[in-house]
Amino acid sequence: MRLAFILSEIGGGLRRNLSMVVSVILVTFVSLTFVGAAGLLQLQIQQMKGFWYDKVQVAVFLCVSNSTAPSCASGPVTKEQRANIEAMLKSPAVSQYVANYQYESQADALKHFKEQFANSPIVDSVSADQLPESFRINLVNPEKYPIINETFSSTPGVDTVVDQRQLLEKLFTFMNGASLVAVGIAGVMIICAILLIATTIRLSAFSRRRETGIMRLVGASKMVIQLPFILEGVIAAVVGAVLASVTLWAVLRFFVGDTLAQQFKDTPFISSSQVLLVSPLLIGLGVVLAGVSSLLTLRRYLKV
Amino acid sequence: MIRFDNVTKVYDQTARPALDSVSLEIERGEFAFLVGASGSGKSTFLRLVLKEDKATRGTVYVAGQNVANISSWRVPRLRRGIGVVFQDFRLLPNKTVFANVAFAMQVIGRSRGIIRETVPEVLKTVGLEGKGHRMPHELSGGEQQRVAIARAVVNKPGILLADEPTGNLDPTTSQGIMSVLDKINQNGTTVVMATHDDDIVNSMRKRVIELRGGTVVRDEARALYTSMIPAVKEAGR
Repeated sequence: MRLAFILSEIGGGLRRNLSMVVSVILVTFVSLTFVGAAGLLQLQIQQMKGFWYDKVQVAVFLCVSNSTAPSCASGPVTKEQRANIEAMLKSPAVSQYVANYQYESQADALKHFKEQFANSPIVDSVSADQLPESFRINLVNPEKYPIINETFSSTPGVDTVVDQRQLLEKLFTFMNGASLVAVGIAGVMIICAILLIATTIRLSAFSRRRETGIMRLVGASKMVIQLPFILEGVIAAVVGAVLASVTLWAVLRFFVGDTLAQQFKDTPFISSSQVLLVSPLLIGLGVVLAGVSSLLTLRRYLKV
Repeated sequence: MIRFDNVTKVYDQTARPALDSVSLEIERGEFAFLVGASGSGKSTFLRLVLKEDKATRGTVYVAGQNVANISSWRVPRLRRGIGVVFQDFRLLPNKTVFANVAFAMQVIGRSRGIIRETVPEVLKTVGLEGKGHRMPHELSGGEQQRVAIARAVVNKPGILLADEPTGNLDPTTSQGIMSVLDKINQNGTTVVMATHDDDIVNSMRKRVIELRGGTVVRDEARALYTSMIPAVKEAGR
């Protein structure tokens, strides 16, 4: 009975304040879309970093059958060549620059590749023998990359020496900048949303002061009086959060998935299902925003 | 049922108090008029009983409880034991008579079955049998006030506070309202009615508490609106 009563109160309140409720929905929708976009950019950065990025700086790729580098003239790397390269890594001349290194076999490479490109069709057409073995090297001082490059790039059995950081660093700087901008815009919009929710609740409380006055007099509990107002704000914010999630999903599905991923086949992209990681956070944030701002407003404008 | 112990209420430090060390007791089942000019403290008295305001000094007891000791989340329970009626009825204009009365039960979580059973009973008590489906604007002032009374008593409070309930009504209609209040009082509810209406006070012959400038200047049983004790001029004037 009480639940049905509160629900009908909420329904009445939402109808009466429709234009305000719609604006709350839109503002939370826009602000949470920006929050979600920032979150997804970070997920995308993680995806592009792949397995090795945070662990090592330099990759020494060894020859495979279709390598074209002069040092691969003898075909795929042989056991002796690999042993020789590892011995060089351990030699005092090189090891003073190397903090540690790891060997990645072709099987490991395939495993890591599959993780990184999980959302790409490319993953089904790659087999282990197409992927190079590698030594992944963590430098004592990342600035010393040229020394490693010089030492190894002409060694037989080495295809290329790559400083992965340098390749991706600029892109990540750009993407981090973009996330910061998104978070900044989201911050402003969230302030907007909080103020708008507060105003909406104030209006709603004002237009229903007769009802609430009577409720007080006949001894309705604080919860019964305030809950419809709080839930009104929360419902509007949740609708906004759901719209934001749907929008982000659509962007990932149709823009990233169907357009970007087709154009940049060698870049790993996050999939639209990763919105599921972000959207609970958005909905939670919406609920907290609306709940807190309506509680604070009610404390001022709806005496019980 | 209601006891004031040296109660003072100051709204504005610079002005005189709205109530100035008032002590009185209204027994269970009593019917008391609260009379006095505007600003004499009648409404403050009622607000203190409802714990809408806090006494500046002194203690207010309602149903044996010191209201100052009732925590804010238990105030609703206090108010469930008190019905209130106003001069301006305060009905919800977009709800039927039945829904207006039922509202008071819904908000405290009464079941639908109990509401359907109780509301018609109460409407009958106030003389509105069969008018449950009407909207407030279709009713006369007297009938609207009866709805308000029905709403005030539907949860069977021990106390009914009426703040000038006949203030907007003509004398004949007012008499009708008074007989409803009297009936409710005879069912055991303590009734405290603030009023300006001398005819009504005179016809009822109940206890009269007169306030002037925040103090009780008269408290008589079975009294009239104006004192029957002649004002005695001070010697030598």
